[in-house]
Amino acid sequence: MQSFAVEMKGLSKKFGSFTALNNLNLNIEKGTVHGLLGPNGAGKTTAIKILCGLLKPSGGEGYVLGKKVPDRSVLPEIGYMPQETALYLDLTVHGNMALYGDLFGLSRSRIAERERELLDFVALQKWKDSLVSNLSGGMKHRVSLACSMIHEPKLLFLDEPTVGVDPELRAAFWEYFDLLKKKGVTIVLTTHYMDEAQHCDRIALLRQGQLLAEGTPVDVVKSAGATNLEEAFLMLAKREDAKS
Amino acid sequence: MNIHRAFAITKRIFRGLRHDRRTVALMFLAPIVAMCVFGLAFSGDVKDVNVVVVNLDDAPVSASGVIISNFDKEVLKVAYVASVEEGVRRVEDGKAYAVIIFPEHFTESLLMKRQNPSYEGDTTIQVREDRSNVNVANAITKSISETILKTAQEAGQDLPMKVDAEDAIYGKGAKFMDFFVPGIMAFVVFMLTTLLTLISFVGERTSGNLERLQSTPLRESELVVGYAIAFSIIGMLQTVVLLVIGTVAFDIMIVGNVVLAFAIIALLAVVSLSLGILLSSLAKREAQAIQFFPLIVLPTFLLAGIFWPVEAIPQWLRPLSYLIPPSYAVDATRSVMLRGWGIGEIWVDIVALCGFAAAFLTVAILSLKRGRR
Repeated sequence: MQSFAVEMKGLSKKFGSFTALNNLNLNIEKGTVHGLLGPNGAGKTTAIKILCGLLKPSGGEGYVLGKKVPDRSVLPEIGYMPQETALYLDLTVHGNMALYGDLFGLSRSRIAERERELLDFVALQKWKDSLVSNLSGGMKHRVSLACSMIHEPKLLFLDEPTVGVDPELRAAFWEYFDLLKKKGVTIVLTTHYMDEAQHCDRIALLRQGQLLAEGTPVDVVKSAGATNLEEAFLMLAKREDAKS
Repeated sequence: MNIHRAFAITKRIFRGLRHDRRTVALMFLAPIVAMCVFGLAFSGDVKDVNVVVVNLDDAPVSASGVIISNFDKEVLKVAYVASVEEGVRRVEDGKAYAVIIFPEHFTESLLMKRQNPSYEGDTTIQVREDRSNVNVANAITKSISETILKTAQEAGQDLPMKVDAEDAIYGKGAKFMDFFVPGIMAFVVFMLTTLLTLISFVGERTSGNLERLQSTPLRESELVVGYAIAFSIIGMLQTVVLLVIGTVAFDIMIVGNVVLAFAIIALLAVVSLSLGILLSSLAKREAQAIQFFPLIVLPTFLLAGIFWPVEAIPQWLRPLSYLIPPSYAVDATRSVMLRGWGIGEIWVDIVALCGFAAAFLTVAILSLKRGRR
């Protein structure tokens, strides 16, 4: 049985002369929460977009659920939450969720069911019939997360799912991610909050399109000889610069 | 191609419009306003032009008097002055567009000439115009010529030749509005559909919605077809509104099959929205998209045969008008509504529109796919 949900083999991406991703090798096990960490421009979003079939790699290979990307046949199995809000402002919360339910071929009753579950989770039940344009930034973010999960994907790509979300709800998110994990869902998320990364099963530190370190958060800190992730990142970055 | 996914997109567009009253108002008020403003302002006739008459004719029962009384009072507003100098000054002061001068002994000379064609008396009606406004000046000259012809006919001085254009083959009794409504229908649908899809697709791209859509099983072709269904329906609804108002308020002539006219407009809507989508790939922001507006509106306005026929465009410019899709739709709807033609006669237009639709749709879909570089 295939145990990796995602495999990246020497994955590279160039935009003109700019290298966004440089020979990334990384495997992500099924049923885990994997964090991609790093500063802006580290290549986190590029990696996710390649895996979702939105960009073509310039070099190397990416495999999602055993299929080499881009491959349309994996699309029904994955959920993608972009960094931008990516919602229709002139639709209600329900309108947005129903659109994605329809696109994944869910029945009307199934959409209603999923909508109830997910709006409970993101605590937006009473906003169901509000226009998205009337919601606050954090609320939009939660709707966006809910939209990406309407079809119960086996693999979730979440690009900065917790930006602008208050601490209480953020804790609820992580609880929910744990619940999904128990159901066998794999979650790949990006963040640049180092403290949040403690919740991940494994993390990958990225910088300038390259992998700095990979492992459980505890191992990454230990192997760098640091006391926390932030420190670990800075030390590893300095070491990398010294090498080149 | 999964039609359910295309329908999901169509549904999304209509749901969005339900909460966007401003856009809906634009979709339906703009055609009405355009039709009324253009239709009433552009009816093409010059009216109520101030002219002054200097009548130096001294006969007690004068031919000049008959001619003056025969002037078309709708076109010419006549005032009288005593001398040529005064009349000229009126024009110089901008109070009148022309001074019409009847020479001395006009009636007498006229009668003498009738008996003896070589008689040398002056029978020339001099018209000194302010030609700074060519349209007005031409209307004056034309009106006076018509009056003289009419007066001569009444006096039994008929020409041995005659033109009779009363018994028209098509469009008998057609007014400017009858000619204009099919044109404005195509113009409005083309313009609004192109602009709305252009703006809306730039929005899809910049908001990240397009990427999210592309991460689902939705294909680019399904996305475009979803849009096509929505905008064809909207285009047909706009046509209904225009036709109803045209019929009720302007009593326009419809001799052909209205359903065929709807089909042509729907086809034009598909052409327009694909054009909007592919233009959207050239704009990074809404503000850039707005720069395309004159590019879309002006050539169509001037070259598509909405206000004046292709024959009125200089010959070297005419090929351009064949590159503009609305030209075919204008021609086809006009032929259907005024000539009562069917598919058998307008198939060339239909084929041209289908060709544009196929080409633009393909490029639009490719432009969306190109995003996945």
